[in-house]
Amino acid sequence: MSDEPITEADLQAHVDGRLPPEHDAAVRAWLAAHPEEASRIQAYRSQAMGLRQALSGIADEPLPAGLDLRMRAQGRAPWTTLRPIAAAACAAGLLLAGGAGGWALRGQDVVPRAGTAALAREAVSNYAVYASDTARPVELAAAQKGALDSWFSQRLARPIRAPDLQAAGLTLIGGRLAATEHGAAALYLYQDRAGRRLAVYLRPMEVEGTDRMKPRREGSVAGWTWADDGLGFGVFGTAPDSDLHGAANMVRSQLTRL
Amino acid sequence: MARAARLPRMMVSMSVSEQMIAEVQPLIPALRRYARAMLRHREDADDLVQDVLERALAAWSSRRRSASLRAWLFTILHNLALDRLRRRSRRGIDATIDSVPEQWLAQPAAQERAIEQQDVLTQLASLPEDQRAVLLLVSVEDLSYAEAAAVLDVPLGTVMSRLSRARERLRRQMDKGAPVNAALRVVR
Repeated sequence: MSDEPITEADLQAHVDGRLPPEHDAAVRAWLAAHPEEASRIQAYRSQAMGLRQALSGIADEPLPAGLDLRMRAQGRAPWTTLRPIAAAACAAGLLLAGGAGGWALRGQDVVPRAGTAALAREAVSNYAVYASDTARPVELAAAQKGALDSWFSQRLARPIRAPDLQAAGLTLIGGRLAATEHGAAALYLYQDRAGRRLAVYLRPMEVEGTDRMKPRREGSVAGWTWADDGLGFGVFGTAPDSDLHGAANMVRSQLTRL
Repeated sequence: MARAARLPRMMVSMSVSEQMIAEVQPLIPALRRYARAMLRHREDADDLVQDVLERALAAWSSRRRSASLRAWLFTILHNLALDRLRRRSRRGIDATIDSVPEQWLAQPAAQERAIEQQDVLTQLASLPEDQRAVLLLVSVEDLSYAEAAAVLDVPLGTVMSRLSRARERLRRQMDKGAPVNAALRVVR
């Protein structure tokens, strides 16, 4: 036994008390003959103990209702118990990250209530809330794309379908309905390989039923709006501007009746 | 990486069986502890654990019975934690996340122990993510090396070498009483 070399992995396993007794004895004997190594290994042991002690309190905390499966099974805590706060924190974080750059129209007295400027504002708000939501960013997932498209088509009273943005590296996650002063709006969410999300936002337009493509920005969220034949479009995200423009063009070529 | 499709809420709650609750419920405190130690933010961490539970419930029937339940849950948790950390760093808000452990720890410990504990946690926070993860999984959560390898999706040998590097780096930092700063080391 003692002529077997002691490896670093043996020493680590000794720290964690995971060696079979015989092997552990050999390591202890070796450490007795190597005081410098012994003090290093001793430091690791007290480090592990320190970490366990410092963090033990968290596991002893009572479970919040949102994390208590038993309470939930008894119907006393809906899944959403924890969500509103967390979602708000996420959105706040997103806006915080956007820095001081405010809404481009903030300098004006009037908040846009109609037209593609209003649509941009709605799209950015929806992006802030839903794109950062890790729990339930969409109401219907991409797997149910058919149901999603027909739902949107029904609510917006015109044929709507999710554009295919795979060529831009964007995969459909799903979609949800959004409420606006102008009625229902459709929100499709996409995600790229880096995990960045992109929103495609559509709703009927009462004014500016036809409008050219315009760049928009609020904080870190940027994108494009346009309107065609009474339907307004917004494409928003946090990707570089050139990518957003490319995606917007792709959406436009697929969805607008030119 | 596309996110796994979520089941509608009703379907999830219908699949919640007594047996599953009995198996998962006892592991939730440990999941919270790992989540909080990785994210260093109480609400974020609990939100993450909720996300893990929802996914676990949705995938419950398809999980491999032979595999360790704990390793399975920690795998889901670890991957989602990394997602969040990456998203944070992309947004550049990591610096604003609680760097002072007393803000995300449980109840404050007694004075003399509190300083010690905050010190080890502050030093832990300055380790690279992969080293922090392995140290927490092995030393605090007491996962076997094989389980840790499965959670981190690396070979066993990598677990051992990361563990060794993590411990050595933490030891040096604790000796110095300050995070090892590469630039400082060069100057000295």
